[in-house]
Amino acid sequence: MKYALISLLITGASLWGGNQQAVLQPVEFNVNSRYTVESVELPREVESRISRGLRRDLQRLIGQKFNTQTLNDLARRVRQELNLRTVSQKVIRGTAPDHVRVVLEVAHKRGEFDLSVPRFLYHSTEGLSASVDGNAVLGNNRFSFGLVSDGDELSERYAGVRARYENRKIGSDRVHLRFEFDSYHDQWNRSTVNANGSADAAGGLYRSRQNIEPLAAILITKSLTLSFGAGFQRFDSQLPPARTQSANAAITSLRYERRIEGWGADQHELDAGYSLRAATRMLNSDFSYARHRWSVRYGITRGRQSLTDEAVAGLITGRAPLFERYVLGTSSMLRGWNKYDLDPLGGSRVAYNSLDYRYGMVDVFYDTGAIWDPGQDAVARHSLGVGLRKNSFMVAMAFPVKGGRVSPMFMVGMNY
Amino acid sequence: MSKVTRRWWLMASFGAPVMLGLVAQSLGVRLDGDDIRIVAPQFHFLTGKSLEKLKDGASVAFLAQLSLSPEVNAPAIKRAVDRFIVSYDVWEEKFSVTQTGVERGTVTHLSSTAAEAWCLDRLAVGIEGVALDKPFWVRLEMRAEDARDQAGVVGDAGINLTRLIEIFSNPARAQQLRWEAVGGPVRLMDLKKERRGSRSG
Repeated sequence: MKYALISLLITGASLWGGNQQAVLQPVEFNVNSRYTVESVELPREVESRISRGLRRDLQRLIGQKFNTQTLNDLARRVRQELNLRTVSQKVIRGTAPDHVRVVLEVAHKRGEFDLSVPRFLYHSTEGLSASVDGNAVLGNNRFSFGLVSDGDELSERYAGVRARYENRKIGSDRVHLRFEFDSYHDQWNRSTVNANGSADAAGGLYRSRQNIEPLAAILITKSLTLSFGAGFQRFDSQLPPARTQSANAAITSLRYERRIEGWGADQHELDAGYSLRAATRMLNSDFSYARHRWSVRYGITRGRQSLTDEAVAGLITGRAPLFERYVLGTSSMLRGWNKYDLDPLGGSRVAYNSLDYRYGMVDVFYDTGAIWDPGQDAVARHSLGVGLRKNSFMVAMAFPVKGGRVSPMFMVGMNY
Repeated sequence: MSKVTRRWWLMASFGAPVMLGLVAQSLGVRLDGDDIRIVAPQFHFLTGKSLEKLKDGASVAFLAQLSLSPEVNAPAIKRAVDRFIVSYDVWEEKFSVTQTGVERGTVTHLSSTAAEAWCLDRLAVGIEGVALDKPFWVRLEMRAEDARDQAGVVGDAGINLTRLIEIFSNPARAQQLRWEAVGGPVRLMDLKKERRGSRSG
């Protein structure tokens, strides 16, 4: 832990140093720098693919004076994140006097291939989680193939390959199609193995699983997206008698996303969603269950400050396999707690809230949540943390709020 | 009516662009105190892609060099380099120019022609060392600044003139926008006479 603290300080110092350099920007010679940015617009398909940090930084321009250097930096980040051919900028008159609208236009490479690291995380308890993707884009078609090892998201550590095909224009820009195939090998923590022996609610441990998932998404309005499809999961049980089981589910989700701009210097962001995975015997599934998940995230940004609140609720009815069960105590939910101490098999009920305050690159958060199964009491747990975030990179330390000895969790990585 | 021969067509097709180029790129030269300056109402660099970028609200930096040489294509014996940043006010639809070289200054609310003229008027080469009776040529070169050059040209202390001269010593990068015009031959003594004439007239 001592080393973790030292790394946090070193990383913080280097990030702070980098930030100091950024302050030494050249003098702004653009005559439009006297105007205030009214809005920042970029194509929806680009907006949905860029990282949350970059999206937030773009939204931060609103209400500030137009600055060529800052805009160039952000355009370069968009180009690099999505591996685009060009990102050009247009500044046009706003609706209010002395205000301008910034429009970013992108040009895709005709045929492109890139390697990306969509996730990289070191967690002091769960170890390393990472994924590497190779992506090829041909027109509206995107193919990706990746390797993944993740010990953070679920109660299992899964490692394997995933392949995805995506078409972003089926007749219209509003209709997307996605087809995914995953094949993972699974490893289990001793706490989970022990808990599984005495539990009958969970569907048992498995040593490998495969997933085939065709999905279609329809952009009903600019803010509302409906997705539907099916997931066919097959997994081989770990303990004898070895047998293959399947969890085949109909999938649907509804997502509402809106940014409210123009209220003075404040920017508001609302993201709400509901998803349902319903496995049924009709789809030849060995499991029959319904997994509901509701989430709402609301953020307000003023200058260098932002405050975000995220609430998640989940409910599983019926008997679901372990990969469907909810987990708290990860790098993104109830940070600071050990997920195996909370519930080594995951839970079928979850309620969670996270309050996140950010000033510049300093991030302070307060998480609270409960995870339980029917017949158990829901016990609320709390955690506090502090971190440094720059672009997609974050280093953080989180502390569980509890009596007795407190062991902080250290997390460092990107896109988590 | 004279007969239009194949040779005539050949000469016309090769000669016309050359002649047009020379006419379009000719420079007027004048003496202003101890400085040689240029007059080039036909010289336009706020055009095409540069103008497009400006109208899109971006600022565009232009590097300029005014040089004197004894022959048209001989190496320069004297030169002046400078850097201008042009932007276009999207509300007022007027141009603004900032000179960031040795001399500094900013001017706003200009038409494109006035902005171009202001830049050219700020370019001057001193006459010290120039023989009174020897003819010389004046060459104006302008380039839209390449992003790769910017770091070397713009430093904490201002503009790096040595780097700027180096840039003009090398050919322009592929796809880098550039403009050029040549005037001459002229003699310093003639310019002085002209100046006296214009004063007395």
